[in-house]
Amino acid sequence: MSSSTALRHPATEPTTAERPRLELRALRKQLGDTAAVNGIDLRVAPGESVVLLGPSGCGKTTTLRMVAGFLQPDGGEIHLNGALASNAGFSLPPEKRRLGMVFQTYAVWPHRTVAENVGYGLEVAGKKRGEVEAVVAAVLDLVQLGSLARRYPAELSGGQQQRVALARALATKPSLLLLDEPLSNLDASLREEMRFELRALQKDIGLTTLYVTHDQDEALVLADRIVVMNKGRIEQIGTPEEVYRTPASRFVGGFIGIANLLEGEVETVDRAGGRVRVALDAGDRIWSASTDRWLAGAVPGTRATVLLRPEDIRLDRPEAPDQEQGIEVSFGSESFLGSHYELKLRAGGLTPDGILLRVQSRLRGTFVDGRTRLWARPGSAWVVA
Amino acid sequence: MSEIAAPDHLAASRGTGFVDSLLRRLAALQPVRFLVIGLSIAVLLALIAYPLVLLTGYSLVDAQGNLTFETFEKAFARRGMWQATVNSGWLVLFVTLGSCALGIPLAWIVARTDAPGKTLVTLAAGVSFVIPTFISVISWIFLAAPNSGYLNKLAIELFGFEKAPFNIMSFGGLVFIEIVGVYPLVFFAVNAALNNVDASHEQAARILGAGRLRTTLTITLPLVRPAILSAVILVMLDALSSFGAPSAIGTMANFSVITTKIYDLLKFPPQFNYAAAVAMPIMIFTAISLLIQKYAIRAENFRTLTGKATPGQILALGRWRWVAGGFCLIVALVTAVLPVGALLLLSVLSSFGADIRLDNLVGKHYALIFDENFAARASILHSLLLALATATVCATLGLVLGWVVERFRFFGRELIGFLVMIAYGFPSIAYAVGILMGYVDLFYGTLTLILIAYAGKLLPIAFVLVRNGIQQLSTDLEEAARISGAGWLRSIKDVTFPLVRGAVGIAWVLVFSLSLRELSMSAILAQSDTQVMPTVVLQFIEDGAVELAAALAVVIVVVSLSMLGLIRLFTAKKTAAVS
Repeated sequence: MSSSTALRHPATEPTTAERPRLELRALRKQLGDTAAVNGIDLRVAPGESVVLLGPSGCGKTTTLRMVAGFLQPDGGEIHLNGALASNAGFSLPPEKRRLGMVFQTYAVWPHRTVAENVGYGLEVAGKKRGEVEAVVAAVLDLVQLGSLARRYPAELSGGQQQRVALARALATKPSLLLLDEPLSNLDASLREEMRFELRALQKDIGLTTLYVTHDQDEALVLADRIVVMNKGRIEQIGTPEEVYRTPASRFVGGFIGIANLLEGEVETVDRAGGRVRVALDAGDRIWSASTDRWLAGAVPGTRATVLLRPEDIRLDRPEAPDQEQGIEVSFGSESFLGSHYELKLRAGGLTPDGILLRVQSRLRGTFVDGRTRLWARPGSAWVVA
Repeated sequence: MSEIAAPDHLAASRGTGFVDSLLRRLAALQPVRFLVIGLSIAVLLALIAYPLVLLTGYSLVDAQGNLTFETFEKAFARRGMWQATVNSGWLVLFVTLGSCALGIPLAWIVARTDAPGKTLVTLAAGVSFVIPTFISVISWIFLAAPNSGYLNKLAIELFGFEKAPFNIMSFGGLVFIEIVGVYPLVFFAVNAALNNVDASHEQAARILGAGRLRTTLTITLPLVRPAILSAVILVMLDALSSFGAPSAIGTMANFSVITTKIYDLLKFPPQFNYAAAVAMPIMIFTAISLLIQKYAIRAENFRTLTGKATPGQILALGRWRWVAGGFCLIVALVTAVLPVGALLLLSVLSSFGADIRLDNLVGKHYALIFDENFAARASILHSLLLALATATVCATLGLVLGWVVERFRFFGRELIGFLVMIAYGFPSIAYAVGILMGYVDLFYGTLTLILIAYAGKLLPIAFVLVRNGIQQLSTDLEEAARISGAGWLRSIKDVTFPLVRGAVGIAWVLVFSLSLRELSMSAILAQSDTQVMPTVVLQFIEDGAVELAAALAVVIVVVSLSMLGLIRLFTAKKTAAVS
């Protein structure tokens, strides 16, 4: 662990400790005819890991490239460590921003050895040879590439090149590390492994990171806070638990995890308990929590969309005995996935276009004439809008 | 932003005042960038646009400077001009047909059959391609001059012919020499295209019940058609603008083509207006061809796979195998072995016409070429100097321009590529007329004048090579350097340049070799003090000193080939292992 201590960031001065490493204010960027980034506000605190998550074209990479200084915003401001880095009229060049970046393509220079790649930033900064070598050795140990320092990138595997790119970005002790879908070119098992490794590294040396991905699992593992983006705007900022359990919109609910969305009508409003009782169109009544803002406007008769996660649905019998009669569903399909069954069921009575429900259950469920009942786990339902 | 930090921020962005923010804004404008873009466009305009505009202008004005079409009428009313135009037309037609008739079947045999001697043909096509036609003319004079050609002698003495069967000093002879010179274009293009056709395309047709012939006609041929059309256009342009062989043979056989007429018009006293007017048809034809190339063929150019024919695509010819092999052998013999052998032999033969005996082999021609008091030596020095300078100028400009076009986003960026490609398609002879008109006052009788012409004409080759090299570099590689703290220039020095060095090196070598053998522009631009090797070779041929021409030609070929060998140096580097 000595190498990681060597890389730990020097303690920031007390007066600046409150300062966000990165602040975006009303950031906008037009690419062609579309507003790629359409008014984004965000703050990243020192030591924090923030993940920009969204489908392709949501503006997350554009945002990252503006932070890096490769794109200039059309409106709004970018501040790094409290100083203006970009606005519509000014752009600090990338090399002056003291950032580190890991590219999707790794961008490891093929004409330089691993050590030369990693030491480049220090070399440019005019560091002495001995110092460069020491830091390079420490960083390479950190990413477990110590033995490959003299190799050329072409001799390395994809995963190893990825580590070289990471080491290169870490070597200069950047105030903020940018990662642009760094794991998307790796195969599935390596990707999963690297996720946890990256997260451990980030916590271990107190890195501040801004990470772009479209992979929700990656975001959940890596983030202190997830920024869910869609069509150039932020849909929600929150901890992984918040965006998963209490999504701010249908989009967020549907993008992270599997969402069963059930329409219904508010019957009772319990403001003190922060919940409403919704009569679902598919049958059954269900207590469902929501944001204070939504609750404030909710009255009996308001239409509501309730989110139920597949793992929060029980087949055969309710968890608590006092629950209502349950939702009647008909059998669609069933797959056995080892730890659980994945069932596709159709709710909504006899109508042919009933709502499709996805259920993850340890039990297979007992069907009579292809029908059964299911119950939501108490406290799991959430009104998205 | 927290309460505490807010004043700090205001101080940073506003408090330090107006001057600071102005300075930052100015720095963001990046003056170096504008300088580089501006300079490169200026150089392009001077090298390419200016001469071409002049050329067009001169053909459209009379001596008083009034706009008129009379120049055309008068120019084409001159004696022999119409006949020269017709001759050029026939030349293009026959050369194109001949090149296809030779190149396509050969390409098919090499790519898709098990005929023996395939490597030999590829090698021979390479040799034909490297040797310019004004040099192969020398070989064929030696082999097939009407009276003294050695093949003719052989035919009469050994096979009892009444009179000489071959006559290279004729229009037919010219067509033959041009075909041998340009068929490799068709051969290489079609061969590559055939190799690129993915076997699965053909197999899919076979599975659906199409026979071999039907598959070839309905699948393979349409897939290689763009390659054939592209090559045909190149061949046509080459034949239309060819100067060396038509000049050498035309003088002896007494006929002209457009290019040799232009050359005549520029002899003292030079008639720029007429020369410009006569060059116009070539320009227009070129422009149309390039447009067809760009819009009709590129649109159809759908092959992207690369590879080699798989065993399933190779046709076993059976008994015909040896016929095809024999054909390959004859082509290699006639197009490469005979001419190269003849050239080498002639350069050491005591005199053209002497019996081929050991005691007739001498080194005196080479001695004379390197003799201090003889024009040839100076021309060798001039050529080497020019080649060095041209290669360096083109490689540098190609790097800067290629990088500007690939990496800067600015209005009119495509204009650079467009201007450069115009120079590529432009017939050398017409381009030289433009250069002469544009720069004759400044650089009359200097090597600089020739350098300008070489650089403008050969720049496209360097540009395309280097641009492709840069295109293959992901911008991430440069951005990674920027984010590591390297400035704009430093990222180029440390990342871009080392990675395109191979492409730049290859461009340098190619331009060097092509400069050494450039004749059409040299013939127009070189004065008595600035002769280069090709013009001296042509002079020797016209004076009947073919032995000396052969010796000097051997020098050109040897230097060119050894320079091309250098390409291996650039491609064998480990930097080539870019994934």
